[in-house]
Amino acid sequence: MKIRRLMSTVYGMLMSSFLALVLVPSHVFSDETCMSPYMAKIVGQEDYVYVWTLGQVGVGDEQDKLVTIAVNPASPHYGNVIGHTSVGGRNEAHHSGFTDDRHYLWAATLDTSKIFIFDVHTNPSKPKLHKVITDFVKASGGIVGPHTTYALPGRMMISGLSNNQDFGGRTALVEYTNDGTYVATHDMPVDGNLRGAVKTGQLADGYGYDVRALPRRNVMITSSFTGWNNYMMNLGKLMGDSEAMKRFGNTVVVWDLHSRKPKKIFDVPGAPLEIRCAWGSQNNYCFTTTALTSQIWLIYEKDNEWHAESVGTIGDPAKIPLPVDISITADDKHLWVNTWNDGMTRVFDISDPHNAKEVYTERIGDQINMLSQSWDGKRVYFTSSLLANWDKADGPDKMPQYFKAYDYAGGKLSKKFEIDFLKEKLGLPHQMRFGAYSLYAKTPSNKNLAELSQ
Amino acid sequence: MERLKLYLSLFFVMFCAISFAQRTEYNIAPGYNQLNFKAPDPGSYTLEKYNLAPDGNIVDSDGKQKSLHDLFDNKVVLLNFMYSTCTDVNGCPLATAVFHKVRNLLNKDPNLGKQVSLISMSFDPENDSPEVMKLYGYGTNSGVVDWNFLTTTSPAELNPILDGYGQRILKEYDEEGNYIGSISHILRVFLIDKNKTVRNIYSVSYLHSDVLINDIKTLVDPRTKNGTIESSSISEDIVVASGASLAKPGDYKEGYLSKDYTTNAEPLERIGKATDLYAIATGKQLGLPKLKFPEGTFLTKEKIALGRKMFYDRRLSHTDTISCAICHVPEMGFAHNELRTAVGTEGRSVPRNAPTVLNVGYLTRFFHDARESSLEDQAWGPILNHNEMAIPSPGYLINKIKAIPDYNNLFEKAYGSKPNMDNISRAFAAYQYSLLSANSAFDRWYYGKEKYAISSDAKKGFEIFTGKGACVSCHLINEEYALFTDEKLHNTGIGYEASMYVEPPVKKVILAPGLEIDVDTSSYADDSRFKDEISPNDLGLYTITQDPNDRWKFRTPPLRNVSITAPYMHNGALSTLREVVEFYNKGGVKNEVLSPMIFPLNLTEQEVGYLVEFLKTLTGSNIDELILDARDVPIGEISLNDPNWFHENKPRY
Repeated sequence: MKIRRLMSTVYGMLMSSFLALVLVPSHVFSDETCMSPYMAKIVGQEDYVYVWTLGQVGVGDEQDKLVTIAVNPASPHYGNVIGHTSVGGRNEAHHSGFTDDRHYLWAATLDTSKIFIFDVHTNPSKPKLHKVITDFVKASGGIVGPHTTYALPGRMMISGLSNNQDFGGRTALVEYTNDGTYVATHDMPVDGNLRGAVKTGQLADGYGYDVRALPRRNVMITSSFTGWNNYMMNLGKLMGDSEAMKRFGNTVVVWDLHSRKPKKIFDVPGAPLEIRCAWGSQNNYCFTTTALTSQIWLIYEKDNEWHAESVGTIGDPAKIPLPVDISITADDKHLWVNTWNDGMTRVFDISDPHNAKEVYTERIGDQINMLSQSWDGKRVYFTSSLLANWDKADGPDKMPQYFKAYDYAGGKLSKKFEIDFLKEKLGLPHQMRFGAYSLYAKTPSNKNLAELSQ
Repeated sequence: MERLKLYLSLFFVMFCAISFAQRTEYNIAPGYNQLNFKAPDPGSYTLEKYNLAPDGNIVDSDGKQKSLHDLFDNKVVLLNFMYSTCTDVNGCPLATAVFHKVRNLLNKDPNLGKQVSLISMSFDPENDSPEVMKLYGYGTNSGVVDWNFLTTTSPAELNPILDGYGQRILKEYDEEGNYIGSISHILRVFLIDKNKTVRNIYSVSYLHSDVLINDIKTLVDPRTKNGTIESSSISEDIVVASGASLAKPGDYKEGYLSKDYTTNAEPLERIGKATDLYAIATGKQLGLPKLKFPEGTFLTKEKIALGRKMFYDRRLSHTDTISCAICHVPEMGFAHNELRTAVGTEGRSVPRNAPTVLNVGYLTRFFHDARESSLEDQAWGPILNHNEMAIPSPGYLINKIKAIPDYNNLFEKAYGSKPNMDNISRAFAAYQYSLLSANSAFDRWYYGKEKYAISSDAKKGFEIFTGKGACVSCHLINEEYALFTDEKLHNTGIGYEASMYVEPPVKKVILAPGLEIDVDTSSYADDSRFKDEISPNDLGLYTITQDPNDRWKFRTPPLRNVSITAPYMHNGALSTLREVVEFYNKGGVKNEVLSPMIFPLNLTEQEVGYLVEFLKTLTGSNIDELILDARDVPIGEISLNDPNWFHENKPRY
């Protein structure tokens, strides 16, 4: 009896203590600031950056590859490419994302719609091609161009960009299990089938691009870019084709995360691309930027309703600076925005999310595209390539293709090193993801490494 | 005494975890608090089916060896993996606390509760003996809900189970490599239905009793079929009305330049209905002659069916991406409304507009420069063209088709021989012979003598077409039928203009609905990789004959179905029929080799309108039937059995 009483006391104390606690920001659930909140974390210095790189005719082995760069200053190879894995073909390598346990990196491709799954945990310094999903289009019922591979518990949510009927922008979200088994296709809402969503403005185009989740609010958010025809064709040709230029996405959709149902469709004209959600537990909002109209948009919740609002302008929209990748800082105070057309990175103060103010600019280099920052914001990495047929090839000097590593301190960037991806015969560097031994309780010299391997 | 020690240590561990949490404002998972949103109503959504929940050998808290599936007991199961000395407040204690809440809620609803089983399974068999698990679960088995606390006899029994569920664990070591007693892991709770299928996986940020209860209710809700809401059944009976109501892009952009633009996008669902294509190919439509097949062509249903399958098969390109139908889209008049000029493999630029394949069976000259003279020979052009389907060689395609399982025996049945250069091109042609479309409003008026089949404006347009406009001198109409083409090549000046005019660097570029701005595009257009591909230069027939008199000559396109095949001209330069008529009205573009048949027409605005109205009457009556037939074809996509280097099944080399 004594024991039973003691146990009930234990449970009673446990429960009352738990209830007394206040929900605080869920920072511990992630590392790099654009990752899924479901993701395992890197607590300190990242060891590697994995760069999903497009093959280019005339450059090296001409095919897509995952390039591994040592970025830990303690490494003897710091600042160098330490390996790469070629995957066969030029598939329009684009974005990649880890599974929630961070054991595998899913590297998606926009042309052939293949998804290359790399084992990054067995040896973080040598990602190994583990599996290739070749039948994504067939399995998904005709979705083309897997873009974001976003971790949900035990599953991957993949945003499509196109379809196999007309290579236009109407598309869907596609769900897979972590072991690469197709689960379901969730169509983007269109006028002909809103799937229960409310069309808040004039537009329900059914286009897709990025996907992010705010689990604490049971919300998933998607943005919209363009279909295969447009993202695959030469940019000069595209801009001269008034029919094709009508085929860009102009919507953001807020979904019920749990039921996978679209709730609200917002007019966000001019191709809203990357979505980055705030981390603070009371900060129920996400940002996106429009590639063609150069606006920062805030997708936010107020009084239990979701809204969309333009909160800032990026550069001179008349010159189409083409904002591409963005990144929110862990404290939700700043938003990094790269503008591809002028080679600039820009930092906006978003302390007041409804009023984004540019506070810092730095020219990184021609056709800057992606950026990744460490969770503490002290290290920022940039790459150059946007899309194989949109990248510039000419110019006074041949257009560069680079990876650049910077430290960021005191509101200022200072360059640590850079790698010329053409000179190294690698290709066109696109998205970056971080790897670290610490994720797997490993060190390069850990004598228990073998035992710890799964 | 041992038990008391264990309880005290458990208490100590948990209390420390909480104290630590309070001191450092450690983030407490939502599962400990009230749910921060309204969980979706039970039965209102589908829980997707993931994998079959793996089985394995376990030991229950009485020390009995069983299989994990034995404990599922045809119930809805909530399963989590844990270890008894876990110190992470958002780890095992969270799952235990949430399971407690779930159990309490279920006990209040015994009908539901008795359908549910909770399972907590240790991943630390070295320390968590059955007895420890029994102690851990002490006092949890009141009420109707089963809650089993399991362990395994050894890591060898445990590891396959963890692998099966994707539950990663990492024992933590100090710098000397000594195990420090904690096991890092990502918390996962699995919802498993009565058929042992995983239906949801919850992590720290999403584990909450309200969500779990609603998901359990959804699985047993009679309104769902085991947690799946079936989409409303689609009527098998598609009524095919005469006309072309389906002939528009599913992503319709008319009025895009207006601020008032609203989308009218259609779902991607592809519901089709097969039609008798053989009857169309061998039949007679008002306004068209009976099709004469070239010598040696004997059409059969099997041949048409094979060609039809191939026409929609993306695997017949080098990168498994481009089928014929990618550029000749059924809903876009078997042409392409969304691009001025086509885009091919790897996004390479095709310098010309994709023409319609409707009624091509009547033609004897193919491509805008007329370089081919049979539909069969034409087929290999786009297949082998580096800018289009990019097949490296005929032999490559032959071997590839042989290696695709679903083509097994189809060529043998249709042609009595294995795939070869000849029968592949014949099969492509066979399907295209069946894409005939006439019996248009014009045909019913002109040949069928239906007085009111077309409007009086269209009738005035016809008078201009055959009179003042002189259109008919190239777009022929005869007494029994009309193909609307002389199949000759003419220089209208549109190619000359594209080649010889200096392009202004500043162009109007559409950025969003109702937003078009002037942009200096020179920085986008100087790409050397594409210079030959995207150059506006196109010398037409000259590129074949090398005769300077043939510069900028292009084949007269047939005009049937012209209103559904925008944009127009060999380079898609003109967006609307009105623009086309206005181009001819001003006499094309002057150049030294301009066709003498092109001259200013002096049509009034009104007459231009009449002519456009006439052109709109040329749409065939069976367009919807052909589109629905096309939608009935499964689009050929790479499967796990298809040729691909990763499937270790590639065309022979």
